[in-house]
Amino acid sequence: VTETRTHNDAGFVHRGTAHPDAGRTPDPERPTRAELERVRARDPEALGAFYERYVDRVYGLAHRLVGDRAQAEDITQEVFLKVHRAADRLDPERDPLPWLMTIAHNACRDLWRSSAWKLGRRAASLDGDSPLAATLTRRRDEPERDLIAAERERLVQDALLRLPDPLRVAIVMHDYQGLGHEEIAAVTGIGHAAARKRYSRALSALANLLRGRLE
Amino acid sequence: MSRDPIEPTADERRAGDAVRALEAARPEPAFRARLRQDFVTGRIGERAVVRLSPPWWRRGWAAALAPAAAVVVVLLVAGVNRGPQWTVMAANGDGIAVVDGVPMPMPHAAEEARRLRAGARVQVPPGASLDLAGSGTMMMEIAGGAEVTLPATPGRWFARGVEAHVRSGTVRFSTGARFHGARLHVETPEAGVEVTGTTLAVICEPRGTCVCVYEGVVRVRAHGGSIESVSAGRRRFVYNDGRAPIEDAMLPGERTRLGEIREHRDDWQGGGR
Repeated sequence: VTETRTHNDAGFVHRGTAHPDAGRTPDPERPTRAELERVRARDPEALGAFYERYVDRVYGLAHRLVGDRAQAEDITQEVFLKVHRAADRLDPERDPLPWLMTIAHNACRDLWRSSAWKLGRRAASLDGDSPLAATLTRRRDEPERDLIAAERERLVQDALLRLPDPLRVAIVMHDYQGLGHEEIAAVTGIGHAAARKRYSRALSALANLLRGRLE
Repeated sequence: MSRDPIEPTADERRAGDAVRALEAARPEPAFRARLRQDFVTGRIGERAVVRLSPPWWRRGWAAALAPAAAVVVVLLVAGVNRGPQWTVMAANGDGIAVVDGVPMPMPHAAEEARRLRAGARVQVPPGASLDLAGSGTMMMEIAGGAEVTLPATPGRWFARGVEAHVRSGTVRFSTGARFHGARLHVETPEAGVEVTGTTLAVICEPRGTCVCVYEGVVRVRAHGGSIESVSAGRRRFVYNDGRAPIEDAMLPGERTRLGEIREHRDDWQGGGR
Protein backbone atom coordinates (compact mmCIF):
# COMPACT_ATOMS: atom_id res chain seq x y z
CA VAL A 1 0.00 0.00 0.00
CA THR A 2 1.37 3.36 -0.94
CA GLU A 3 0.52 6.72 0.48
CA THR A 4 -1.29 9.18 -1.66
CA ARG A 5 -2.82 12.56 -1.11
CA THR A 6 -6.03 14.09 -2.17
CA HIS A 7 -6.29 17.67 -3.20
CA ASN A 8 -8.35 20.71 -2.73
CA ASP A 9 -8.30 24.12 -4.35
CA ALA A 10 -5.47 25.31 -2.16
CA GLY A 11 -3.13 22.45 -2.88
CA PHE A 12 -2.32 19.09 -1.39
CA VAL A 13 -3.88 18.75 1.98
CA HIS A 14 -5.20 15.29 2.70
CA ARG A 15 -3.18 12.17 3.18
CA GLY A 16 -4.67 8.76 2.69
CA THR A 17 -3.86 5.26 1.53
CA ALA A 18 -4.32 3.90 -1.95
CA HIS A 19 -4.28 0.54 -3.62
CA PRO A 20 -0.85 -0.07 -5.13
CA ASP A 21 -2.15 -0.82 -8.60
CA ALA A 22 -4.51 2.13 -8.60
CA GLY A 23 -3.94 5.25 -10.62
CA ARG A 24 -2.09 5.50 -13.83
CA THR A 25 1.43 5.64 -15.01
CA PRO A 26 3.22 8.89 -14.30
CA ASP A 27 2.82 11.52 -16.98
CA PRO A 28 6.13 11.63 -18.86
CA GLU A 29 5.41 15.22 -19.80
CA ARG A 30 4.79 16.41 -16.27
CA PRO A 31 6.93 19.37 -15.21
CA THR A 32 10.19 18.67 -13.49
CA ARG A 33 10.77 19.57 -9.91
CA ALA A 34 12.91 22.50 -11.00
CA GLU A 35 10.16 23.79 -13.23
CA LEU A 36 7.61 23.54 -10.46
CA GLU A 37 9.94 25.35 -8.10
CA ARG A 38 10.02 28.22 -10.57
CA VAL A 39 6.23 28.12 -10.80
CA ARG A 40 6.15 28.39 -7.02
CA ALA A 41 8.28 31.49 -7.33
CA ARG A 42 5.87 32.80 -10.00
CA ASP A 43 8.62 33.05 -12.53
CA PRO A 44 6.87 34.37 -15.67
CA GLU A 45 8.61 31.97 -18.02
CA ALA A 46 7.75 28.98 -15.86
CA LEU A 47 4.19 30.18 -15.49
CA GLY A 48 3.93 30.44 -19.25
CA ALA A 49 5.20 26.90 -19.75
CA PHE A 50 2.90 25.62 -17.03
CA TYR A 51 -0.04 27.33 -18.69
CA GLU A 52 0.77 25.93 -22.11
CA ARG A 53 1.09 22.47 -20.67
CA TYR A 54 -2.28 22.40 -18.93
CA VAL A 55 -4.65 24.97 -20.33
CA ASP A 56 -6.10 22.72 -23.02
CA ARG A 57 -6.69 19.88 -20.58
CA VAL A 58 -8.39 22.14 -18.10
CA TYR A 59 -10.51 23.76 -20.76
CA GLY A 60 -11.32 20.42 -22.36
CA LEU A 61 -12.49 18.96 -19.07
CA ALA A 62 -14.61 22.00 -18.30
CA HIS A 63 -16.07 22.06 -21.79
CA ARG A 64 -17.06 18.40 -21.73
CA LEU A 65 -18.53 18.70 -18.25
CA VAL A 66 -20.59 21.85 -18.79
CA GLY A 67 -21.11 21.75 -22.57
CA ASP A 68 -20.85 25.49 -23.01
CA ARG A 69 -17.90 27.48 -24.33
CA ALA A 70 -18.42 30.63 -22.27
CA GLN A 71 -18.87 28.70 -19.05
CA ALA A 72 -15.87 26.54 -19.83
CA GLU A 73 -13.81 29.70 -20.32
CA ASP A 74 -15.02 31.05 -16.99
CA ILE A 75 -14.02 27.82 -15.27
CA THR A 76 -10.65 27.76 -16.96
CA GLN A 77 -10.00 31.30 -15.87
CA GLU A 78 -11.02 30.46 -12.32
CA VAL A 79 -8.68 27.47 -12.25
CA PHE A 80 -5.67 29.51 -13.33
CA LEU A 81 -6.59 32.31 -10.98
CA LYS A 82 -6.50 29.86 -8.09
CA VAL A 83 -3.27 28.35 -9.35
CA HIS A 84 -1.69 31.78 -9.42
CA ARG A 85 -2.89 32.59 -5.93
CA ALA A 86 -1.77 29.27 -4.47
CA ALA A 87 1.39 28.84 -6.54
CA ASP A 88 3.65 29.21 -3.50
CA ARG A 89 1.90 26.21 -1.93
CA LEU A 90 2.43 23.96 -4.92
CA ASP A 91 4.17 20.69 -4.06
CA PRO A 92 7.05 20.37 -6.55
CA GLU A 93 7.35 16.69 -5.73
CA ARG A 94 3.98 15.83 -7.16
CA ASP A 95 2.21 15.88 -10.47
CA PRO A 96 0.08 19.05 -10.50
CA LEU A 97 -2.50 17.62 -12.88
CA PRO A 98 -4.76 16.08 -10.21
CA TRP A 99 -4.69 19.37 -8.35
CA LEU A 100 -5.79 21.21 -11.47
CA MET A 101 -8.50 18.65 -12.12
CA THR A 102 -9.71 19.07 -8.55
CA ILE A 103 -9.99 22.80 -8.92
CA ALA A 104 -11.78 22.45 -12.23
CA HIS A 105 -14.14 19.84 -10.82
CA ASN A 106 -14.98 22.03 -7.84
CA ALA A 107 -15.62 24.99 -10.12
CA CYS A 108 -17.96 22.86 -12.26
CA ARG A 109 -19.73 21.64 -9.14
CA ASP A 110 -20.24 25.20 -7.98
CA LEU A 111 -21.69 26.02 -11.36
CA TRP A 112 -24.04 23.05 -11.27
CA ARG A 113 -25.33 24.16 -7.91
CA SER A 114 -26.11 27.62 -9.19
CA SER A 115 -29.59 28.63 -10.17
CA ALA A 116 -28.22 30.01 -13.46
CA TRP A 117 -27.06 26.54 -14.45
CA LYS A 118 -30.34 24.90 -13.51
CA LEU A 119 -32.25 27.48 -15.48
CA GLY A 120 -29.95 26.98 -18.46
CA ARG A 121 -30.40 23.23 -18.30
CA ARG A 122 -34.16 23.59 -18.47
CA ALA A 123 -33.86 25.91 -21.46
CA ALA A 124 -31.42 23.54 -23.18
CA SER A 125 -33.76 20.60 -22.69
CA LEU A 126 -36.46 22.60 -24.43
CA ASP A 127 -34.13 23.52 -27.29
CA GLY A 128 -32.98 19.92 -27.61
CA ASP A 129 -29.70 20.88 -29.26
CA SER A 130 -26.23 21.07 -27.83
CA PRO A 131 -24.08 23.97 -28.94
CA LEU A 132 -20.88 22.07 -28.23
CA ALA A 133 -20.36 20.42 -31.61
CA ALA A 134 -20.51 23.74 -33.36
CA THR A 135 -17.61 25.01 -31.32
CA LEU A 136 -15.21 22.18 -32.09
CA THR A 137 -12.55 22.54 -34.70
CA ARG A 138 -13.23 20.55 -37.88
CA ARG A 139 -11.14 19.33 -40.68
CA ARG A 140 -12.09 21.14 -43.85
CA ASP A 141 -10.96 18.63 -46.45
CA GLU A 142 -13.56 15.93 -45.83
CA PRO A 143 -16.93 17.63 -45.43
CA GLU A 144 -19.04 14.45 -45.45
CA ARG A 145 -16.87 12.78 -42.88
CA ASP A 146 -16.84 15.96 -40.87
CA LEU A 147 -20.60 16.01 -40.92
CA ILE A 148 -20.85 12.45 -39.64
CA ALA A 149 -18.25 13.09 -36.98
CA ALA A 150 -19.99 16.25 -35.89
CA GLU A 151 -23.29 14.45 -35.60
CA ARG A 152 -21.67 11.67 -33.61
CA GLU A 153 -19.98 14.27 -31.44
CA ARG A 154 -23.32 15.96 -30.81
CA LEU A 155 -25.01 12.68 -29.88
CA VAL A 156 -22.31 11.73 -27.43
CA GLN A 157 -22.10 15.16 -25.88
CA ASP A 158 -25.87 15.35 -25.54
CA ALA A 159 -25.89 11.98 -23.85
CA LEU A 160 -23.11 13.06 -21.50
CA LEU A 161 -25.03 16.17 -20.51
CA ARG A 162 -28.08 14.04 -19.76
CA LEU A 163 -26.16 12.00 -17.22
CA PRO A 164 -26.31 12.98 -13.58
CA ASP A 165 -23.36 15.26 -12.76
CA PRO A 166 -21.33 12.71 -10.73
CA LEU A 167 -21.67 10.09 -13.45
CA ARG A 168 -20.67 12.58 -16.14
CA VAL A 169 -17.60 13.51 -14.10
CA ALA A 170 -16.65 9.87 -13.73
CA ILE A 171 -16.83 9.01 -17.40
CA VAL A 172 -15.33 12.25 -18.74
CA MET A 173 -12.39 12.09 -16.35
CA HIS A 174 -11.77 8.43 -17.05
CA ASP A 175 -12.40 8.11 -20.77
CA TYR A 176 -11.87 11.64 -22.05
CA GLN A 177 -9.13 12.85 -19.70
CA GLY A 178 -7.54 9.48 -19.13
CA LEU A 179 -7.39 9.68 -15.36
CA GLY A 180 -7.22 6.51 -13.30
CA HIS A 181 -9.89 5.57 -10.80
CA GLU A 182 -7.57 6.37 -7.94
CA GLU A 183 -6.99 9.85 -9.28
CA ILE A 184 -10.68 10.35 -9.91
CA ALA A 185 -11.39 9.21 -6.37
CA ALA A 186 -8.91 11.79 -5.07
CA VAL A 187 -10.29 14.56 -7.26
CA THR A 188 -13.92 13.92 -6.38
CA GLY A 189 -13.30 13.10 -2.74
CA ILE A 190 -14.71 9.58 -2.72
CA GLY A 191 -13.15 6.19 -2.15
CA HIS A 192 -11.39 4.17 -4.81
CA ALA A 193 -14.02 1.42 -4.90
CA ALA A 194 -16.80 3.98 -5.05
CA ALA A 195 -15.08 5.68 -7.98
CA ARG A 196 -14.90 2.37 -9.87
CA LYS A 197 -18.56 1.65 -9.22
CA ARG A 198 -19.56 5.12 -10.17
CA TYR A 199 -17.69 4.80 -13.45
CA SER A 200 -19.39 1.47 -14.11
CA ARG A 201 -22.80 3.01 -13.53
CA ALA A 202 -21.90 5.96 -15.73
CA LEU A 203 -20.82 3.69 -18.54
CA SER A 204 -24.02 1.70 -18.27
CA ALA A 205 -26.18 4.82 -18.24
CA LEU A 206 -24.36 6.30 -21.21
CA ALA A 207 -24.67 3.04 -23.14
CA ASN A 208 -28.41 3.07 -22.57
CA LEU A 209 -28.64 6.64 -23.85
CA LEU A 210 -26.57 5.88 -26.94
CA ARG A 211 -27.92 2.44 -27.72
CA GLY A 212 -28.79 2.17 -31.41
CA ARG A 213 -27.72 5.74 -32.14
CA LEU A 214 -24.05 5.34 -32.92
CA GLU A 215 -24.36 2.96 -35.91
CA MET B 1 -23.11 -13.25 -8.73
CA SER B 2 -22.74 -9.78 -10.15
CA ARG B 3 -20.24 -9.07 -12.87
CA ASP B 4 -17.09 -7.02 -12.35
CA PRO B 5 -18.25 -3.43 -12.49
CA ILE B 6 -15.34 -2.61 -14.76
CA GLU B 7 -16.03 -5.47 -17.17
CA PRO B 8 -18.15 -3.68 -19.75
CA THR B 9 -20.77 -5.03 -22.06
CA ALA B 10 -20.47 -4.45 -25.78
CA ASP B 11 -22.75 -1.40 -25.60
CA GLU B 12 -20.80 0.00 -22.70
CA ARG B 13 -17.53 -0.59 -24.47
CA ARG B 14 -18.91 1.24 -27.48
CA ALA B 15 -20.06 4.11 -25.30
CA GLY B 16 -16.63 4.39 -23.66
CA ASP B 17 -14.97 4.31 -27.07
CA ALA B 18 -17.27 7.10 -28.23
CA VAL B 19 -16.22 9.28 -25.33
CA ARG B 20 -12.56 8.55 -25.93
CA ALA B 21 -13.05 9.43 -29.59
CA LEU B 22 -14.43 12.87 -28.79
CA GLU B 23 -12.33 15.62 -30.24
CA ALA B 24 -10.26 17.68 -27.90
CA ALA B 25 -12.20 20.81 -27.12
CA ARG B 26 -9.82 23.73 -27.34
CA PRO B 27 -10.31 27.27 -26.17
CA GLU B 28 -10.68 30.13 -28.60
CA PRO B 29 -7.22 31.43 -29.52
CA ALA B 30 -8.05 34.96 -28.40
CA PHE B 31 -9.26 33.77 -25.00
CA ARG B 32 -6.32 31.44 -24.67
CA ALA B 33 -3.82 34.21 -25.42
CA ARG B 34 -5.48 36.75 -23.13
CA LEU B 35 -5.66 34.33 -20.22
CA ARG B 36 -2.02 33.36 -20.75
CA GLN B 37 -0.97 36.96 -20.65
CA ASP B 38 -2.96 37.60 -17.50
CA PHE B 39 -1.67 34.43 -15.84
CA VAL B 40 1.96 35.08 -16.61
CA THR B 41 1.93 38.73 -15.63
CA GLY B 42 -0.19 38.22 -12.52
CA ARG B 43 -2.99 40.43 -13.78
CA ILE B 44 -5.37 37.49 -13.53
CA GLY B 45 -5.70 38.13 -9.80
CA GLU B 46 -6.34 41.80 -10.30
CA ARG B 47 -8.96 41.09 -12.90
CA ALA B 48 -10.82 38.51 -10.86
CA VAL B 49 -10.82 40.42 -7.62
CA VAL B 50 -13.23 43.27 -7.84
CA ARG B 51 -11.78 45.99 -5.68
CA LEU B 52 -14.68 47.97 -4.44
CA SER B 53 -13.81 51.30 -3.01
CA PRO B 54 -14.36 51.19 0.74
CA PRO B 55 -17.53 52.73 2.06
CA TRP B 56 -17.15 56.41 2.78
CA TRP B 57 -17.05 55.91 6.53
CA ARG B 58 -13.98 53.67 6.19
CA ARG B 59 -11.95 56.03 4.08
CA GLY B 60 -9.06 57.73 5.79
CA TRP B 61 -10.34 61.25 5.66
CA ALA B 62 -13.77 60.18 6.84
CA ALA B 63 -12.33 58.19 9.73
CA ALA B 64 -10.29 61.19 10.80
CA LEU B 65 -13.17 63.60 10.52
CA ALA B 66 -15.84 61.31 11.94
CA PRO B 67 -15.26 62.19 15.63
CA ALA B 68 -15.26 65.91 14.87
CA ALA B 69 -18.35 65.53 12.72
CA ALA B 70 -20.05 63.58 15.47
CA VAL B 71 -19.24 66.32 17.97
CA VAL B 72 -20.60 68.95 15.58
CA VAL B 73 -23.79 66.94 15.07
CA VAL B 74 -24.23 66.47 18.82
CA LEU B 75 -23.69 70.17 19.43
CA LEU B 76 -26.09 71.08 16.64
CA VAL B 77 -28.78 68.74 17.91
CA ALA B 78 -28.28 69.93 21.48
CA GLY B 79 -28.43 73.54 20.31
CA VAL B 80 -31.58 73.04 18.28
CA ASN B 81 -33.18 70.99 21.04
CA ARG B 82 -32.48 73.59 23.70
CA GLY B 83 -35.59 75.29 25.00
CA PRO B 84 -36.04 79.05 24.80
CA GLN B 85 -34.16 81.32 27.16
CA TRP B 86 -35.88 83.21 29.90
CA THR B 87 -36.88 86.73 29.00
CA VAL B 88 -37.96 89.45 31.37
CA MET B 89 -41.60 90.30 30.68
CA ALA B 90 -41.92 92.71 33.58
CA ALA B 91 -39.82 93.91 36.49
CA ASN B 92 -42.02 95.74 38.93
CA GLY B 93 -40.85 97.72 41.92
CA ASP B 94 -37.54 99.05 43.04
CA GLY B 95 -34.81 97.51 45.04
CA ILE B 96 -32.04 95.18 44.12
CA ALA B 97 -32.50 91.60 43.15
CA VAL B 98 -29.67 89.16 43.56
CA VAL B 99 -28.80 86.70 40.81
CA ASP B 100 -26.20 84.10 41.74
CA GLY B 101 -24.95 86.44 44.42
CA VAL B 102 -24.61 89.37 42.03
CA PRO B 103 -26.78 92.45 42.66
CA MET B 104 -29.20 93.33 39.88
CA PRO B 105 -31.17 96.58 40.23
CA MET B 106 -34.80 95.82 39.42
CA PRO B 107 -35.14 98.68 36.89
CA HIS B 108 -32.29 97.12 34.91
CA ALA B 109 -33.56 93.57 35.06
CA ALA B 110 -34.38 93.54 31.35
CA GLU B 111 -30.81 94.52 30.46
CA GLU B 112 -29.44 91.89 32.82
CA ALA B 113 -31.68 89.15 31.45
CA ARG B 114 -28.67 87.20 30.16
CA ARG B 115 -27.87 86.34 33.78
CA LEU B 116 -31.32 84.83 34.26
CA ARG B 117 -30.37 81.50 32.84
CA ALA B 118 -31.44 78.03 33.90
CA GLY B 119 -29.95 77.17 37.28
CA ALA B 120 -29.51 80.79 38.31
CA ARG B 121 -30.44 81.49 41.92
CA VAL B 122 -32.66 84.57 42.03
CA GLN B 123 -33.75 86.60 45.03
CA VAL B 124 -36.36 89.28 44.37
CA PRO B 125 -36.51 92.15 46.89
CA PRO B 126 -39.66 92.62 49.00
CA GLY B 127 -42.29 94.72 47.31
CA ALA B 128 -41.06 93.94 43.82
CA SER B 129 -41.87 91.19 41.35
CA LEU B 130 -40.15 89.69 38.34
CA ASP B 131 -42.08 88.12 35.46
CA LEU B 132 -40.09 85.74 33.24
CA ALA B 133 -41.29 83.98 30.09
CA GLY B 134 -39.81 81.12 28.12
CA SER B 135 -41.27 81.61 24.68
CA GLY B 136 -44.48 79.60 24.54
CA THR B 137 -43.38 77.02 27.07
CA MET B 138 -44.01 78.54 30.48
CA MET B 139 -43.88 81.71 32.53
CA MET B 140 -42.91 82.46 36.11
CA GLU B 141 -43.89 85.29 38.32
CA ILE B 142 -41.44 85.64 41.17
CA ALA B 143 -43.05 87.69 43.87
CA GLY B 144 -41.15 90.00 46.18
CA GLY B 145 -39.24 88.23 48.92
CA ALA B 146 -39.05 84.97 46.97
CA GLU B 147 -35.89 83.03 46.39
CA VAL B 148 -35.87 80.54 43.52
CA THR B 149 -33.49 78.57 41.38
CA LEU B 150 -34.65 79.00 37.80
CA PRO B 151 -35.59 75.88 35.84
CA ALA B 152 -34.57 75.33 32.28
CA THR B 153 -37.32 75.59 29.74
CA PRO B 154 -38.21 72.17 28.24
CA GLY B 155 -36.22 71.02 25.24
CA ARG B 156 -37.86 70.51 21.85
CA TRP B 157 -37.42 66.74 21.60
CA PHE B 158 -35.63 65.52 24.72
CA ALA B 159 -34.63 66.80 28.15
CA ARG B 160 -38.29 67.67 28.57
CA GLY B 161 -38.22 67.37 32.34
CA VAL B 162 -37.14 70.55 34.17
CA GLU B 163 -36.76 71.41 37.82
CA ALA B 164 -37.09 74.56 39.91
CA HIS B 165 -36.29 75.13 43.58
CA VAL B 166 -38.41 77.55 45.60
CA ARG B 167 -36.74 78.26 48.91
CA SER B 168 -38.98 81.05 50.13
CA GLY B 169 -41.75 83.36 49.00
CA THR B 170 -44.35 82.98 46.27
CA VAL B 171 -43.66 81.83 42.76
CA ARG B 172 -46.45 81.41 40.24
CA PHE B 173 -46.15 79.17 37.21
CA SER B 174 -48.24 78.88 34.11
CA THR B 175 -47.51 76.56 31.25
CA GLY B 176 -48.06 77.31 27.56
CA ALA B 177 -48.80 75.39 24.41
CA ARG B 178 -45.19 74.39 23.82
CA PHE B 179 -45.00 72.83 27.26
CA HIS B 180 -47.19 69.97 26.02
CA GLY B 181 -45.71 66.64 27.04
CA ALA B 182 -43.07 68.20 29.29
CA ARG B 183 -42.82 67.99 33.07
CA LEU B 184 -41.94 70.61 35.67
CA HIS B 185 -40.85 69.59 39.12
CA VAL B 186 -40.87 72.26 41.79
CA GLU B 187 -38.99 71.45 44.91
CA THR B 188 -39.61 73.32 48.18
CA PRO B 189 -38.19 72.70 51.65
CA GLU B 190 -41.32 70.73 52.56
CA ALA B 191 -42.69 69.24 49.34
CA GLY B 192 -42.21 68.24 45.74
CA VAL B 193 -44.69 69.42 43.14
CA GLU B 194 -45.18 67.69 39.81
CA VAL B 195 -46.65 69.81 37.05
CA THR B 196 -47.62 68.52 33.61
CA GLY B 197 -49.53 71.52 32.32
CA THR B 198 -51.41 73.93 34.51
CA THR B 199 -51.41 77.27 36.28
CA LEU B 200 -50.48 77.27 39.90
CA ALA B 201 -48.78 79.10 42.68
CA VAL B 202 -46.18 77.69 45.00
CA ILE B 203 -46.02 79.65 48.22
CA CYS B 204 -43.32 78.96 50.71
CA GLU B 205 -44.36 80.29 54.11
CA PRO B 206 -42.62 80.03 57.44
CA ARG B 207 -44.95 77.17 58.47
CA GLY B 208 -44.75 75.20 55.26
CA THR B 209 -45.56 75.12 51.55
CA CYS B 210 -48.90 76.02 50.04
CA VAL B 211 -49.72 74.89 46.51
CA CYS B 212 -52.68 76.66 44.91
CA VAL B 213 -53.97 75.17 41.65
CA TYR B 214 -55.89 77.43 39.29
CA GLU B 215 -56.37 74.93 36.47
CA GLY B 216 -55.46 71.36 35.69
CA VAL B 217 -54.16 68.88 38.22
CA VAL B 218 -50.93 69.03 40.22
CA ARG B 219 -49.36 66.22 42.17
CA VAL B 220 -47.94 67.18 45.51
CA ARG B 221 -45.79 64.96 47.67
CA ALA B 222 -44.83 65.96 51.17
CA HIS B 223 -41.26 64.95 51.93
CA GLY B 224 -41.56 61.56 53.52
CA GLY B 225 -45.24 61.37 52.66
CA SER B 226 -47.44 60.11 49.89
CA ILE B 227 -48.28 61.75 46.59
CA GLU B 228 -51.61 63.49 46.41
CA SER B 229 -53.35 65.09 43.45
CA VAL B 230 -54.61 68.61 43.83
CA SER B 231 -57.25 69.66 41.35
CA ALA B 232 -58.26 73.07 40.00
CA GLY B 233 -59.60 75.53 42.59
CA ARG B 234 -57.97 73.69 45.48
CA ARG B 235 -54.87 74.18 47.56
CA ARG B 236 -52.75 71.86 49.61
CA PHE B 237 -50.68 72.95 52.53
CA VAL B 238 -47.74 70.86 53.60
CA TYR B 239 -46.55 71.75 57.11
CA ASN B 240 -42.94 71.69 58.12
CA ASP B 241 -43.62 70.74 61.71
CA GLY B 242 -44.81 67.22 61.09
CA ARG B 243 -48.50 67.89 60.99
CA ALA B 244 -50.49 66.16 58.29
CA PRO B 245 -51.03 68.18 55.09
CA ILE B 246 -54.38 69.81 54.67
CA GLU B 247 -56.40 70.49 51.53
CA ASP B 248 -58.86 73.29 51.12
CA ALA B 249 -60.25 75.78 48.61
CA MET B 250 -57.50 77.87 47.05
CA LEU B 251 -56.71 81.26 48.50
CA PRO B 252 -58.93 84.02 47.04
CA GLY B 253 -55.98 86.28 46.39
CA GLU B 254 -54.23 83.58 44.42
CA ARG B 255 -57.36 82.87 42.44
CA THR B 256 -57.39 86.49 41.34
CA ARG B 257 -53.72 86.74 40.53
CA LEU B 258 -53.46 83.38 38.80
CA GLY B 259 -56.59 84.26 36.82
CA GLU B 260 -54.88 87.42 35.59
CA ILE B 261 -51.82 85.47 34.56
CA ARG B 262 -54.01 82.98 32.75
CA GLU B 263 -55.92 85.71 30.96
CA HIS B 264 -52.73 87.34 29.76
CA ARG B 265 -51.20 84.14 28.55
CA ASP B 266 -51.06 85.45 24.99
CA ASP B 267 -48.82 88.26 26.19
CA TRP B 268 -46.02 85.93 27.05
CA GLN B 269 -46.71 82.93 24.81
CA GLY B 270 -45.23 84.76 21.89
CA GLY B 271 -42.35 86.16 23.93
CA GLY B 272 -39.06 85.78 22.16
CA ARG B 273 -35.90 84.12 23.23
